[in-house]
Amino acid sequence: MLKTARMNLRLFYDGAMLSYMALFRWLQPMTYLASMVFAPLTYMLFFVFLGRFATGEDNASFYVIGNSIQMAASSGIYGVTMSITGDRWDGTLPYLFGAPANRLVIFVGRAFMHVINGYISVLLGFFWGITLLGLDLSQTNIGAMALTILVTSISTAGLGLLLGCLSLMTRNVMFVNNTVFFMLLLFSGANIDITTFPAWMQSISYALPLTRAIVAAREIVAGANLAQVANLLGTELLYGAIYIVLGYSLFTWFEKQAKQRGTLEAV
Amino acid sequence: MNAIEVKNLRRVFTTNVGRFRRESKEVVAVDDVSFSVPDGELFGLLGPNGAGKTTTVKMLTTLLIPSAGTAHVAGKNIVDEADQIRPRIGFIFGGERGLYWRLSAIDNLRYFASLYHVEPDVSAKRIPYLLEMVGLADRGKEKVEGYSRGMKQRLHIARSLIHDPDILFLDEPTIGLDPVGARGLRQVVRNLQDEKKTILLTTHYMFEADMLCQRIAVIDKGNIVAMDTPEELKKLVLDLSVIEVEMFGVSDDLISTLRSQNYVDNVSVENREQRQVLMVQTERGSEAIPDLMTLFDGIRVGKVTSREPTLEDAYVRLVGGEA
Amino acid sequence: MNLSKLSAHWRTVRISFEMQLRQNFSDPFIIFAIIVQPMIIATLALWMLQDQVDQFAIFVIVGSGMTGLWSSLLFISGNAITGERWVGTLEGLVASPTPMPVIVLGKNLANVFQSLSSMLASYALVALLFGLSIEIQQPLLFAVSILFAMLAFVTFGLIMASLFIINPAVQNWQNGLEFPVYILGGFLFPIALLPGWTTPLSYLLAPYWAARALQAASVGAGTVEEMSLNWGMMLLFSLIYVVVSRSLFLFVLRKARVDATLGMQ
Repeated sequence: MLKTARMNLRLFYDGAMLSYMALFRWLQPMTYLASMVFAPLTYMLFFVFLGRFATGEDNASFYVIGNSIQMAASSGIYGVTMSITGDRWDGTLPYLFGAPANRLVIFVGRAFMHVINGYISVLLGFFWGITLLGLDLSQTNIGAMALTILVTSISTAGLGLLLGCLSLMTRNVMFVNNTVFFMLLLFSGANIDITTFPAWMQSISYALPLTRAIVAAREIVAGANLAQVANLLGTELLYGAIYIVLGYSLFTWFEKQAKQRGTLEAV
Repeated sequence: MNAIEVKNLRRVFTTNVGRFRRESKEVVAVDDVSFSVPDGELFGLLGPNGAGKTTTVKMLTTLLIPSAGTAHVAGKNIVDEADQIRPRIGFIFGGERGLYWRLSAIDNLRYFASLYHVEPDVSAKRIPYLLEMVGLADRGKEKVEGYSRGMKQRLHIARSLIHDPDILFLDEPTIGLDPVGARGLRQVVRNLQDEKKTILLTTHYMFEADMLCQRIAVIDKGNIVAMDTPEELKKLVLDLSVIEVEMFGVSDDLISTLRSQNYVDNVSVENREQRQVLMVQTERGSEAIPDLMTLFDGIRVGKVTSREPTLEDAYVRLVGGEA
Repeated sequence: MNLSKLSAHWRTVRISFEMQLRQNFSDPFIIFAIIVQPMIIATLALWMLQDQVDQFAIFVIVGSGMTGLWSSLLFISGNAITGERWVGTLEGLVASPTPMPVIVLGKNLANVFQSLSSMLASYALVALLFGLSIEIQQPLLFAVSILFAMLAFVTFGLIMASLFIINPAVQNWQNGLEFPVYILGGFLFPIALLPGWTTPLSYLLAPYWAARALQAASVGAGTVEEMSLNWGMMLLFSLIYVVVSRSLFLFVLRKARVDATLGMQ
C-alpha cells in the first residue's frame, strides 16, 4: 500500500518534472518574458482600453479584473496542451503507453507546472492592473482572492488536459487551441457582462472555466469574503474536475484505439 | 573551358556546444579541395558520410560561401558572380524535403519554371516531357504529400531540369530509390551526358560511380585522397586480384612451383567439400590465367574464376585504412 | 533591368501569388488567423459596444478587418522566408535566378488579398448576427484607401520576412507584437484614449494611417486634407519599406550563405 503510494508519488513527480522541462525547453528567459509577461500584458491593455471606450472610464476595473483572471487561460490551454502533444511529436508516446505506470498520475502530473505558471500569470495581471491601470484592491480579502486564483489555475489546466487529449487525435493542434482561447475571451465574461447574453450563450459561458472565477473575483474586489463566494469557487473547481475526468477517459480511450489500430506513431 | 574549377576550397562550421556555458566548436567539413571538370564530363565525387561531398556541392551551387579558396562554375566566381551562375545550373539534394507538398507535381514544376524564367510556351511543353521522362506522367496532378520517397526523388530530378541547364549537380540521386527506379535514373543520367551536359555526381554506391563516371575523386575528411578514372583507381588495388582454380588434389610441388613464378604474390589453398580451391594472388589478374594453365598441364582442373578488384576495394583501401 | 526580365519577374509574382493562395486554403492555422480570429474580435467588440452599436458598426467591421490584415502580416508574411526553410524549399529558391523579394512580394499579395476577405466576412457576420445594415459613406475614397493599404501592408511584409530570418529570437515576440499594433493603430478605439506620448509611435505605423483612411471614408469624414495626408503617409512608408527591404534582403541572404542557415536549423 505504502509502496504503491510512493511509486505514484514518484510518477507524479516525474510527470511534473517532465512538464517543467517541456515548459523550459522553449522557455529561455527571453521567451518567457515575451510570451508569458509581455504578450498577456498587451491583451490586457487592448481590452481594458476597448472596455473604457465602450462603457466609460468608471468601469475600468471590471475589465482589469476580468482580464487578469483570464490570464490563467494561456498557461492552461497552450501550456498543458503542448505538454501532452509534445509526447507525440517526440515519438515518446509509444513508450509511455507501454509502461505499466498509473496513467492518471502521469496525466495529472503533466499539468502541475502549468498550474503554477497559470497562478503566476494571474498575479502578474493583477500587478499590471495595480501599477498601470489604477486597480484598487483596498476592499479585497487577500485570502479569498488567493484561493480564487488557485481554483482558476486548476480549472483552466483541466480544460487544457481535455484539449490536449483532443489534440492527440487531430493534426490541427494550434487551430483548436487558438479557437478555444479566443472563445474563452468572448464567453468568459472577462470583457462582457454575461447577463446580457441570450440564454444559449450563457449556458456556454457557464460550461467553461473562468466564468465563475471572474464573477467571484469581481465580488471579492468589491469587498466580499470567502463564504460569500464559496459556492462559485466550489462549482468552478467541480468543473475543473469534470474536465480532468473527461480528458482522462479520452486519454485511455485513445490509448486503446491506438493500440488496436496501430496508429500510435501516426501524426 | 572547364565547366567547374575548384581551387583550395575550404569550409569550416562553428557549432555551439553546451546548454549553459556555450562553447564554440569548429568543424572542418571541407579542408582543401581542388579539382576541375571540363565541359561535358561526368565527374564523380565519392566518399563516406561526412566526408564533405554535400558541403562541396552546396558551395558550388552558390548556397554556401567558402571559408577559403575559390571556385568557378561556368567561368563565374561562386561568391561574387552567383547571379550569373544560377540560371545555368541545376541541382538536386533529394530527400523528402524541398518540394511544396501541398501542391501538385505540375504546380511545383510550373512554379520553378517561372523562377528560372522559362517562357510559358516552353514550359508548357517541357513539363509533360519531364514528367514522362521520370515516370510521373500519370500522377502529375496529385499533391506531392501523397508521393512515395522514390516519386519525390524523381520529381526533384524533373525540377532540376526544368530550365535545361548546362551543368548539373546530383547529390546522391539514387538514394532511396528501388532497384528499378535507380536503374531508370542512371539511364536518365547517361542520356543527359549524351546531350553533352556537364554532370557532377556524388554517391556512395561504388558500382554506380564505376558504371557512370568518366573520372572520380575520392574525398575523405574534407580532402581528396585520389582522383582518376575508375580503371586507374582500381589499379591501386591490383594486388587484390585473385584467381580461384578448383582442383582435385593440390600437391606441394605445385604450390612451390606457383610461388616461384615472379608474377605470383601469394598462393593459398582452401578446402571446400571434396575439392580444393587454389587461390593465386597476382597483380596481372585474369591475364595470368593462360600462363597458370600451362603449369596445370595434366592436372584435372574444374572451375576457374578470377576475382577482379572492384572500385569498392580501391575505395575501402583509400578511406577505410585497411592494409 | 530590361523589359523581358521585368515581365519574367511579374510572371513570378503572379505564380507566387497563385501558389501561396493554394497552399493557404489548405492550412487551418491561416484560416484561423485570417478569418476566425477577426470574427471573434469583431463579435467581442460589437457586444461591448452594443449600446452604441448603430454608430460603431462600420467602425468595428473595418477595425476587425485591420486586425486580420495585421495578424496575417505578422504570422504569415513574417514567416514567408522562415516557412520555406522549414519545408526545405529555401535553398531551391535562393539558388534560382529570381531575387527573393520578388517571390516574397507574390506571397504577401496573396496573404493581404486573402485577409481582406476577412473584412468581408465580418461584414456578413455583423449584417446577419446583429441585423444591421451598414453603409460606407464614401465608397470611392474607401476603395482607393484599400489599394493604398494593400500597398503599405505588402511592402511592410517584405521587411518582416527578412527581419524574421535574421534572428530566430524575433519569432518569440510574434505573439507580443500582435495586439500593440491593434492598440497603437487605433483599429477598434481611437488613439485619443491612449497617453499622449504614444501618439508619435502611432504615427510611425503604416497600419495606423491605413485604419485612419478607411475609417474616415466609411463614416464620411474623408476631406481632401485628411485623405491626402493618409494616402501620402502610406505611400511614403511603402517607398521606405521597398528601399530598406532591398538592402535587408541582400544582407540577410548573404549572411545565411556564410552561416550555412539556408537549410534546416
